[in-house]
Amino acid sequence: MAEAAAGQQATFATSISDLPEVGQHFLALYRSFWSLESLPAETLELCRLRLAQLLESDIAWEHEEVALTSMQRDQLRRWPDSAVFSAAQRACLELTEMHAMDARAITDEQADAVKAHYGEVGFVALVQALGVFDATIRLGLIWGLTSMEVDQ
Amino acid sequence: MANKARVHSPDSDTGNLIADSALGLVPETLQHYLDLTVAIWDKGPLAPAEIELARLRNASHVGCVMCQAVRYDVAVEDGLTEELVERINDPEGDAPLSDRQQLILRYVDLYLLAPKVPDREFQHALDELFSKQEQTHLALLMAYFNGFSRCAVSLGGMPERMPRMEISVPR
Repeated sequence: MAEAAAGQQATFATSISDLPEVGQHFLALYRSFWSLESLPAETLELCRLRLAQLLESDIAWEHEEVALTSMQRDQLRRWPDSAVFSAAQRACLELTEMHAMDARAITDEQADAVKAHYGEVGFVALVQALGVFDATIRLGLIWGLTSMEVDQ
Repeated sequence: MANKARVHSPDSDTGNLIADSALGLVPETLQHYLDLTVAIWDKGPLAPAEIELARLRNASHVGCVMCQAVRYDVAVEDGLTEELVERINDPEGDAPLSDRQQLILRYVDLYLLAPKVPDREFQHALDELFSKQEQTHLALLMAYFNGFSRCAVSLGGMPERMPRMEISVPR
């Protein structure tokens, strides 16, 4: 990947600059999840942040794609015991954790819980989004990014 | 692993296996998936057989039965053999993979098992055998195939085993 010059931020833009014909399509896919009809962007942001915690990516955790309440951010690690998350958000967070650990271990009940709130389209959109969010976080770690902003 | 599909595929018959799969249910993302799929195979510097090597190593890690059964025809035409595929999970066996092929598998493992900036020794080895553009291609194809294979597993409908199946890049 292209290396950022000394003092310059290492971003997705600098990292894909040798191969924009591929990289820009990946970033366009990432951006497309933030305006879905089938899933609220706030719920997706919770899932993205939970993945950042699980993958231990400080840079992804510090990044804000969608504004959330400070209570939700503060209590995300303890979401099973917290009252600040809705039933729909909890269903998505549970699926997020299973997807991160081993997608084969996702149960029909966990999938049904997401579908009960967001339908089949929302469930598909969520598992798509989790794959892409996980990928952006891994790329950030492998490329040593200093910013997760995709539009810089 | 769920053998029963968790969603219905769209009622479409475009002939594009991505558009006609459950991924076709999400209109906002579909075209981006299609564009990225073609770009991964057509717009990067790595040869199709090298892309397939990384894809199959990922499929093995994720345990995606369908992904492991598939062979892309462009990779087969580029020289991917079943003997080579067998060596993906035994890269240092009796007929070891080339240094370049072994580095591809090592990169896949880094991406999946411990994502971090490659250490000095690994980065030096990559720089010796891969251009910067090839390294970027390798990272992006992993981002694509890993997300795609996890998605396929999550959607259910995965059989216990599948026969080898040659397919074309969906265009």
